[in-house]
Amino acid sequence: MKISLNWLKKYVKIPESVSNEELIRLIGSRLVEVEGVIDETHKYDNIYIVRVETCEKIPDTHLTLCQINVGDSGLVQVVCGAPNVREGMLAVWIAPGAIVPASVHEDAPFVIGKRKMQGYESNGMLAGADELDFGEDHSGIVEIEPETAVPGDKLADVFELNDLILEIENKSLTHRPDCFGIIGFAREVAGVLGAKFEPARILAETSVKKAFSATRAITISISSPNICQRYTALILEKHGEMKAKYLTWVDTVLSKSGMKPISPIVDATNYLMLLTGQPLHAFDYDKFVAVGGKDKPEIVVRLARAGEKLILLDDTEVELNENDIVICSGETPVALAGAMGGKSTMIDENTKNIILESATFSLYNLRKTQMAHGIFSEAVTRFTKGQPPYQTLAVAEACAEMLADGFKVTGGADEYPQPERPNAVDRRSSVGRRFEEENKFSSCSSPTTVKITTEEINGLLGTDYDEKSIAQTLENVGFGVKSKRNELEILAPLWRTDIHIKEDITEEVGRLNGYDNIEPTLPLHATAEKNEMWELKKQIRNTLARFGANEVLTYSFVSGRLLERVGQDVKNSYRIVNSISPELQYIRQSLTPSLLEKTYLNEKLPVEKFAIFEMNQVYCKEWGVDAEKVPAGRMKLGLVVAERKNPETAFYKAKLYAAKLFSELNISAEFVPIKRVEAESKPYEPKRTAEILIDGEYVGVVGEFKNSVRSEFKLAPYVAGFEIDLELVKNQARSTREIKFGAKKKEDVTITTDRTYAEVLRELKDKYPEATITPGTIYQAPGQKNRNITFHIEY
Amino acid sequence: MVELDQLKQELKKLNVEAGKIREIAVEKRAEFGRKLNLRKREILARIAEAERAALDVEVQPIDVTAWSGVNEPLPELYPTLQGSRHPLMTELDRVTEIYQMMGFEVVESQQLDDEYHMFDTLNFAKDHPARDGYDTFRTEEGLIPPAHTSTMQNRVLKRYRKQLEGRGTLAVVVPGRVYRNEDVDATHEHTFYQCEGVYVSRDCNMGQMLGILKEFFEKYYEQKLNIRTQPGYFPFTEPSLEFMIEKPKSLGGKKGDFLEMLGCGMIHPNVLKMAGIDPEEYHGFAWGGGIDRLVMLRYGLDDVRYFESGNLNFLREFG
Repeated sequence: MKISLNWLKKYVKIPESVSNEELIRLIGSRLVEVEGVIDETHKYDNIYIVRVETCEKIPDTHLTLCQINVGDSGLVQVVCGAPNVREGMLAVWIAPGAIVPASVHEDAPFVIGKRKMQGYESNGMLAGADELDFGEDHSGIVEIEPETAVPGDKLADVFELNDLILEIENKSLTHRPDCFGIIGFAREVAGVLGAKFEPARILAETSVKKAFSATRAITISISSPNICQRYTALILEKHGEMKAKYLTWVDTVLSKSGMKPISPIVDATNYLMLLTGQPLHAFDYDKFVAVGGKDKPEIVVRLARAGEKLILLDDTEVELNENDIVICSGETPVALAGAMGGKSTMIDENTKNIILESATFSLYNLRKTQMAHGIFSEAVTRFTKGQPPYQTLAVAEACAEMLADGFKVTGGADEYPQPERPNAVDRRSSVGRRFEEENKFSSCSSPTTVKITTEEINGLLGTDYDEKSIAQTLENVGFGVKSKRNELEILAPLWRTDIHIKEDITEEVGRLNGYDNIEPTLPLHATAEKNEMWELKKQIRNTLARFGANEVLTYSFVSGRLLERVGQDVKNSYRIVNSISPELQYIRQSLTPSLLEKTYLNEKLPVEKFAIFEMNQVYCKEWGVDAEKVPAGRMKLGLVVAERKNPETAFYKAKLYAAKLFSELNISAEFVPIKRVEAESKPYEPKRTAEILIDGEYVGVVGEFKNSVRSEFKLAPYVAGFEIDLELVKNQARSTREIKFGAKKKEDVTITTDRTYAEVLRELKDKYPEATITPGTIYQAPGQKNRNITFHIEY
Repeated sequence: MVELDQLKQELKKLNVEAGKIREIAVEKRAEFGRKLNLRKREILARIAEAERAALDVEVQPIDVTAWSGVNEPLPELYPTLQGSRHPLMTELDRVTEIYQMMGFEVVESQQLDDEYHMFDTLNFAKDHPARDGYDTFRTEEGLIPPAHTSTMQNRVLKRYRKQLEGRGTLAVVVPGRVYRNEDVDATHEHTFYQCEGVYVSRDCNMGQMLGILKEFFEKYYEQKLNIRTQPGYFPFTEPSLEFMIEKPKSLGGKKGDFLEMLGCGMIHPNVLKMAGIDPEEYHGFAWGGGIDRLVMLRYGLDDVRYFESGNLNFLREFG
């Protein structure tokens, strides 16, 4: 959302001592996140209002040679190509040397110069609305209403264009529908400055309710108050021509707020929406009646039926669903409520009479409508914050007033099936007073009040505000406060549908006075226990890095293809239904496949030799769910070693990494030929893979990969890895190491055998029960069956 | 091998059969071709499968109980200088160490969770638009790879409730990996890390929250810092704020250059209630912020995509 500071200042008085910079800082620290500030203080430099004194057609062209009165410096000659240029009109002149405003934010802003056109000198240009960045109209030059300015006036002064535009992060106002209008925003700014907000006069004082029984009749029926709390409709009948289309203040603020001027009727509805937060919609009355097939309009608000279709204003046809709220003329849907109007009742240049809608709709339905049909308009953004129903009639009236030149109110209706008693009625505001008068509250529940003590407020904030200052803070922004001996009874204003509990009041007090004024302190509390898994991972990370391995992080999401490439069952992976791409569609079952992908990438870089590892959670449907019915994940450690050129057996490198790591963790692990098949062991070649056992329990695998897998990943032959379940390892890790002192004897033993290393080792251990036995090399002479295995023995 | 030969024979036959399409009535040709193609695809897939299997058949077994290959030297670890820890993990370890010094326990977040923990227990009304702000991924089962570490709040509050009753305080941090459905660019990742903090006691207040956060960042950046806040909105805290620090001088910060570090606030009474903690008796505060940005700032990195790239030229810089 964009907020013009100049517009804002029309509704809240900013003391001279508060600079714009300070004001923006205060808004940022006490109201809402300001994402950015667009500086437009020089956007309209050297642009003036001028009077066209003479016009002379340049033969055989569409051009006109004009002498323009630019004020003190007399007459200037300009060539103009617009069809609507005429003698006597007030126009806007971009002087030579000025930048065309629509181009100021471009990489190469367009600077107007002095130039010759068809042999005539042209000094600067007369500007169209598009060039001034007020919408897209390029049909002619802008005309200024006489009496509002004299030649030589700066355009920026007349329309207050030297402005700062705040870009507001909407998310931080999700709970504040009132702040989606300038008036509501201004109220908060007053509160932030510690001043009482003076209600705006824009909302008309006089009631037009008498018009409801006037000449034209209209009926409204709402199928359920759950979808539409209140629906107000006014009939506006054309009685004269709207004024010639001059550039107006409304055009400029719409543009500054990120919208475009379109036509007087649409502009009025948009302007009031930006001002009050209440979206409006205008239907063509005669089309509306024609669609309904009766002699008067019958507005029906209901849920759509499955299969119903509607063509929207932007010509797209939507298929409605049973969640969408529709506005119908009799039986036929003519608008997607809150989101977009329909084509069949759209206003156009021939529109004579209007039905003006001012209503509120269920934010829950609209949220789904917004998603289902991809409509993200300014109106739906406001409705999905939950606009309260108190001001629908007043805003509709204000709109009628804006259009009073060309239209008069000749009918109307206000359907408000279950008026809720507002939490508080702000009697200082005419809207509040009228709201109370117009609605009989006898059938309503009593108003909600929040009772809170000054101790409770200060206790939660860590402050010491007194009763009087708390009351003042709240009253400034429209709360009703009754207080006695530090006990406060608080009534929320009409527009604060988000106030329910004590904490909501505490927030207001803390925020409006500034959280930055709270003194930071440190509480005292008990010491913490260690998280064993976290500590284990830290130890592994440090150890493997010391071992020359590199820690990587890879995505939890993988492609179905990756799972297939390593032989894992895709059906066993949780599938993401709204994935970013097919590459990120499944939650992985093990780390190894991701590591193999990164191995390929690094071999290509090229990196000659490396070991990469990752510790992360993996999920497999087979593992079921935990006590809370959430899938149980497993914390794994995966490592892959790879070299681009090495004829040796990679298995033993991976095994060395695993064995050294376990030894560092003081865990004695065994490596035995693999027998079982787990998700993580799928890519491994069983003939060259070992199971890792601790105390006879399986904790993971170490091995080389299947040739088929290796070729799928395009990896060099020297590649192996391991994957270990850290939950199983955690319980075995010991922090103390057994230390042996004293002299040691060393000896090397070589045994010639055709048995495995493990079998020979077992025999040696029987022979040297106290010794530490470490492996030496294995030699096999060409053509021999037996191998010579060497052991180093220390005892 | 036998199977592979058979399959290749079958494929040949199929090709011969395909040549006969001209002999078939025109109106039946489409159906004939379709069936043939289906079979052909199936056989080709089986051939690919068999060829893959054939690759694996050639492999010679090794003695997996030994420590080196036959006639090969004993393998060695790579040099320490070549090794590195992932910068995100190094920093996350440092972050948790500082919180541990300050008396916080560490509970790691999970990577797959449900709507109940992600939203319901955090006071998000059913179907409320606030749920859309998180751009969550969903699985077929409706599970959610969490979009914030706050998904652990309810679990943490429940798990440490006894401790709270006994010792009077509950202080936990939750580091974890989170996910958002966002297009990836230099400053956005769909996968990133956060750290959550939860503190509950009888008399805690916002001043203490600000104190703890200030203390943390000063320890982390090893210098005194100016802090600032701005109002925020989270359904699970009331009041809610955004917490900012003035960019440390050591990182090239200038006066008035404030960085948004995390969201925080006093835990909403409904969140405490849902975890079985009486909000009349206890108050709490919580915060959560991204780790990736912290690390980028510390190392002067300009592209978040490096973190999950697995690129050793990048990672070895952190050795």
